[in-house]
Amino acid sequence: MIVRSARFFDLETPVEFLNTWLTPVPHFFVRNHMHEPSELSAETWRLTVGGEVEKPLTLTLHDLSKLQTHSVVNTLECAGNGRSLHRPQVPGVQWGKGAVSTARFTGPRLRDVLQQAGVKSTGKHVMFRGLDEVPGKVPPFIRSIPIEKALDSDTLVATHMNGAPLTKHHGFPARALVPGWIGAASCKWLTEIKILDSEFVGNFMSPGYRLPNQPVKPGDSVKPEDTHPVTGLSVKSVISGPLDGASVKPGRVAAHGAAWAGEADIVKVEISLDDGATWSPATLGQEKSKYAWRLWSYSWNAKRGDYTIKSRATDSQGRVQPSEAVWNPSGYLYNAIDEVKIHVA
Amino acid sequence: MSPKITFLLALAIVVNFDLRSSRAQIPGAPLLAAFARSGGFRPNTPGINPPETTATLNEALPAGAMQQKATTACLECHEARIILQQRLSKATWTKEVDKMVKWGAVVDAADRDALIDYLSENFSPDKPPYIPPRTSKEKISGKSRTN
Repeated sequence: MIVRSARFFDLETPVEFLNTWLTPVPHFFVRNHMHEPSELSAETWRLTVGGEVEKPLTLTLHDLSKLQTHSVVNTLECAGNGRSLHRPQVPGVQWGKGAVSTARFTGPRLRDVLQQAGVKSTGKHVMFRGLDEVPGKVPPFIRSIPIEKALDSDTLVATHMNGAPLTKHHGFPARALVPGWIGAASCKWLTEIKILDSEFVGNFMSPGYRLPNQPVKPGDSVKPEDTHPVTGLSVKSVISGPLDGASVKPGRVAAHGAAWAGEADIVKVEISLDDGATWSPATLGQEKSKYAWRLWSYSWNAKRGDYTIKSRATDSQGRVQPSEAVWNPSGYLYNAIDEVKIHVA
Repeated sequence: MSPKITFLLALAIVVNFDLRSSRAQIPGAPLLAAFARSGGFRPNTPGINPPETTATLNEALPAGAMQQKATTACLECHEARIILQQRLSKATWTKEVDKMVKWGAVVDAADRDALIDYLSENFSPDKPPYIPPRTSKEKISGKSRTN
């Protein structure tokens, strides 16, 4: 794993590992804004549900385990994935292409938890707070999602990942799992759910995790009212092999990678071997699930020479991976057409 | 204490901390344990044509009149690598420093401009990219799968 930071703990998945439909947990990227909790115990952990509810709750892990569980295979991507590729560069963790991974998350539906508490008609947003530890006067990592997404049948209080209890780095003993949305929506070490009548007010809702409504140039000032929260992921593909700069022998060469589109489905991935002049369809992998990436492959008979391989994804909403990502002050949702250069000799 | 020893000490604390918590059924421990067994941080092995870089395993902030004050102000909360990987204009560094002061970084008002200059000069957009280390000896062959 690529160590972007050891404190706070941020690990990036090397691009060549983005080649399995389910990412093994040790290869699943890790993103922390704060220090991980110093004390975590399945026995003493509690989840409170309050705010605009009829009956505030305090749940134990055992209480959660009594609820019906549901599994969602979800591609989780950090909103800042690819930030280092924006020009000019913007502050933040300088992720390359690998702040993205896919796992099967399992746990009770959030809506079943909320139903126990009885959401009042005034409840419009759902706030999550985790147990991560805040240094100095840094604002706590608290965010909210709209009630409609919270009540979606695929939004979970996840306790398991790829069939095993969540690891510490991924939010043990329970985390929110908001499928198809940026990773920041899926609060780790979840300990408080609060129903609000409006979006949570805090740094990580504004100015954090917002995009300008219109494209802006570097240096432009953007008023808060001219921005919107980052929610669903963009359409995107990456090439996990061959690696950039590789030398290969003439003959059959297989390019491969993954493509995802948040709440939409991937409908095609196209490959160009001539720097974007012509495109051919890649073969999509058999494994698929709403919110999960599709693996893809493309092989051809490579003759001697230099090639620029490009991959371009299209989704069910008609979104097409662009040749240039939309620059924004925080470097969110980088999704330009991916490319690698190889030498065949 | 040399920066390297300080760093290894910090790493030992991190690893020990994680293992200590493992009694709570936290399978995250093996990741860091493996990380420690592998020798901890090591140079990245990007395989092919790595961009030129001046980065080393020394995670201390670069030498300069503000090195010590920057270390005190910034590394209280996070490690140096978070700074080493940035390539920002002076205007952006100014915003970052002011934000961090608001968030609790202790910077004497008389040192603010010098700190911004120090960061802007060492971590400007024209500097070569920072190459991060990896957690294990994973080698990248750079070879395509052929058949």
